[in-house]
Amino acid sequence: MAAEFEPRIVAFLCKWCSSAGADLAGVSRMEYPPNVIPIQVMCSGSVSPLYVFSALSHGADGVLVSGCHPGDCHYIKGNYYARRRLALVKKLLEYIGLEPQRFQMSWVSATEGVKFSQLIYDLVKELKPLGPQTKFRRNY
Amino acid sequence: MVSLDQLKEEVKKALSSGKVKYFIGYENIGSGWQVRPAFIRQPEDVDRLVWTPACFHNLVRFLHDEKRRRAREKNPDIRPVGLVVKGCDSRSINVLLQEKYIERNDVYIIGVSCELTGVINITKLNQHLNGLKPQKVLFGSKGTFKVIVDDREIEIEAPDILADRCLECPANFPVIADVILGEEIKRNPGNRYQSISAYEKMALDERWSFWQQQFSRCLRCYACRSVCPMCYCDECVADSIAYAVTAETTADEKAQKTRWVERNPELSENIFYHLVRAIHLAGRCVDCGECERVCPVEIPLRLLNKKMEKEAKELFGYEVGFDPAQPPLIACFRDNDPQDFIR
Amino acid sequence: MMEKTILKSSFPQWIKSLQSFKVFIPKRENFGWELSSNNQILEIASDYTYPVVPPKKLIFPQEEIFFEFEQNPDNGIELKEVLPEESPQVIFGVRPCDGRAVEAMDLVFGGSFEDLYYWRRRRQTTLVGLACHQPPSENCFCLSVEGSPYSEDGLDILLTDLGDRYFVKALTEKGEKLLSEAPSLFKEITPKDREEKERVHLEAQGKIKRHLNGARELPEKIKAIFDSNFWDEESSNCLRCGICTYLCPTCHCFDINDETKSLAPLRGRRIRTWDTCQFPDFTMHSSGHNPRPDRASRLRQRLAHKFLYFILLYDRFQCVGCGRCISLCPVGIDIIEVLTRARNHGK
Repeated sequence: MAAEFEPRIVAFLCKWCSSAGADLAGVSRMEYPPNVIPIQVMCSGSVSPLYVFSALSHGADGVLVSGCHPGDCHYIKGNYYARRRLALVKKLLEYIGLEPQRFQMSWVSATEGVKFSQLIYDLVKELKPLGPQTKFRRNY
Repeated sequence: MVSLDQLKEEVKKALSSGKVKYFIGYENIGSGWQVRPAFIRQPEDVDRLVWTPACFHNLVRFLHDEKRRRAREKNPDIRPVGLVVKGCDSRSINVLLQEKYIERNDVYIIGVSCELTGVINITKLNQHLNGLKPQKVLFGSKGTFKVIVDDREIEIEAPDILADRCLECPANFPVIADVILGEEIKRNPGNRYQSISAYEKMALDERWSFWQQQFSRCLRCYACRSVCPMCYCDECVADSIAYAVTAETTADEKAQKTRWVERNPELSENIFYHLVRAIHLAGRCVDCGECERVCPVEIPLRLLNKKMEKEAKELFGYEVGFDPAQPPLIACFRDNDPQDFIR
Repeated sequence: MMEKTILKSSFPQWIKSLQSFKVFIPKRENFGWELSSNNQILEIASDYTYPVVPPKKLIFPQEEIFFEFEQNPDNGIELKEVLPEESPQVIFGVRPCDGRAVEAMDLVFGGSFEDLYYWRRRRQTTLVGLACHQPPSENCFCLSVEGSPYSEDGLDILLTDLGDRYFVKALTEKGEKLLSEAPSLFKEITPKDREEKERVHLEAQGKIKRHLNGARELPEKIKAIFDSNFWDEESSNCLRCGICTYLCPTCHCFDINDETKSLAPLRGRRIRTWDTCQFPDFTMHSSGHNPRPDRASRLRQRLAHKFLYFILLYDRFQCVGCGRCISLCPVGIDIIEVLTRARNHGK
């Protein structure tokens, strides 16, 4: 039997909340699928649309951007900017024909280790049936 | 009706009084009906100017060249540059003001009203004329175009050959100008997002196969970027080297330059380039339609920009280019911006 | 040299007989004509003008992979050569100007140093020209640059449309081989065929409206006004896009880049892509100095390459007068007008 497809998810996690949330999931010994490649960024507001496009063109099957809940941003309003900018990115990607599941955004606070681990479970479950992302991937 | 004589008079006045450094308008190409941007430096040259339905070009783009020239020169002439602008073009001036790329007194604006017409689409004109070659294309009266073919005059209703963007135009009248020619006539734009509705309705895979076909023929001549009044970055992600290199830039810095887009014209890189451009124009594009017009392989780039315009309006209530004091779309937010897509 | 005729009704059979070739035929797309290898098309449409992207893209593709590199476990670098596939191709509907353009490119990529990649494709390419009945565009001016609507230069076969049949002139061995794939379809010519062909050629010549007079005087003139502010004025509305050069059938400048797929272990490839003198980064030095810093010097470079340097090197124009750069320029920069003004400059 062929091995089941395992999606690779690139996750841009804000240093103050989501990355800490992922850490919490780790130190609390919660289990979640190893499909995620976390990249710590200073703020979800610092995630340029370029990062998302670049992850997809380098072959990510899914991209997640996660930051603090509205009102909790370490830099006061970075996540509000992110929300607006990435909403446009999401609309654009879907308009071009990328499956909506492949680009996701979430709010995960430093205390939400459970939410983080559940989120990854869910993402992997949603991405598996889609198979590998080949639309934006480089061919060489 | 916009009077060409009045336009020439205004330009002459501005040039002879020394108020403007030079003036950019439109002139005919040869003896034909098509036009090109014209740089008028002397008052006596104003007779070259024309105003016809073929004045597609958004001249605001030439302000970038002027700005770069000023930066290069030791003692630059800082008088304003004169421009003829249509409604859409005037909105792009507003965006440049909003982003503080230029200042209001860098530009002397002669606004022309499109009234009930606008600019034509050459493909539609050719289809309409069915093989006949136009000699002149002029504005007619009351929302028509007058096309002269074989010394015969044909009157065409504007909507038949108007460019798509003009059919969906929310501002046929300049929103910022020093002098305005022509009347302000309200025109019902109809559905402003007509051109994209068919694509929005497509199934996901259909949309993908459509865009895949479009992007795969991109030659990366970058005409869309070069002609765009909003593409003024000194360094574009699509360029393989950094223009911002100076004698002080270290070898390390040069080597470390992130190459987001490779130079090969494969689908992945073409998509990357066009996505970056679309997202960078979100909330900035005034739909002057120039990118689509100049594309030699006719990639329907307006469809991308129009989609972003629609989303900005629907999600964030944002209209581009009407108010120079408004903050840029992605440099502001509202507490209640939609977030139903966020988990 | 072999002269025959073929009925248009037999033309599809000829194309079908070319099983061992990849066949490119003009196909109508929404943006104009394209050379397509889609096997559905078996004839050249009667209203065919010329392809928007010239046939150079099939011989000198926009992207050419030179080699792939990979770091092996003992830290050496392994190179793997990548060569163009050995697959013969036939291009139908090559206009005489585009044929002459391929000949001009042969000079650039040939000579004392042969470009392996170019010639590998070139040798496998048979160019089947189609003489122009009508100038494909209103900006055609091939007569002024020593071409003609029925020029045979660079082509392997020249077809002339005689209404219900083509006059077929095989010009090279490659061309004759193509005829021999379906010899029964070709008929011997009659004096009438020849007469008609001559008439069609002459008529076509008369239909070309645009002319660039005194092109041979241009090299000296361009040299004389090299430092003049003439170029500033002419280029004032240039946008610095790549349309005029990317779609020029003779422009052949390129860039070579390494594209890394992974840094550790190092893996990637070296590729050649089209580049153009109209982009500011074309001449950018690594010091940040740019010897062609403005649009004026770039416009001058484009015209001087075609009407000065190339003549010095090969004694022929690099421009073949197809008029694409005129028709497609977004701001109406017209090579004929600019050169005419250059010739008269200072007079």
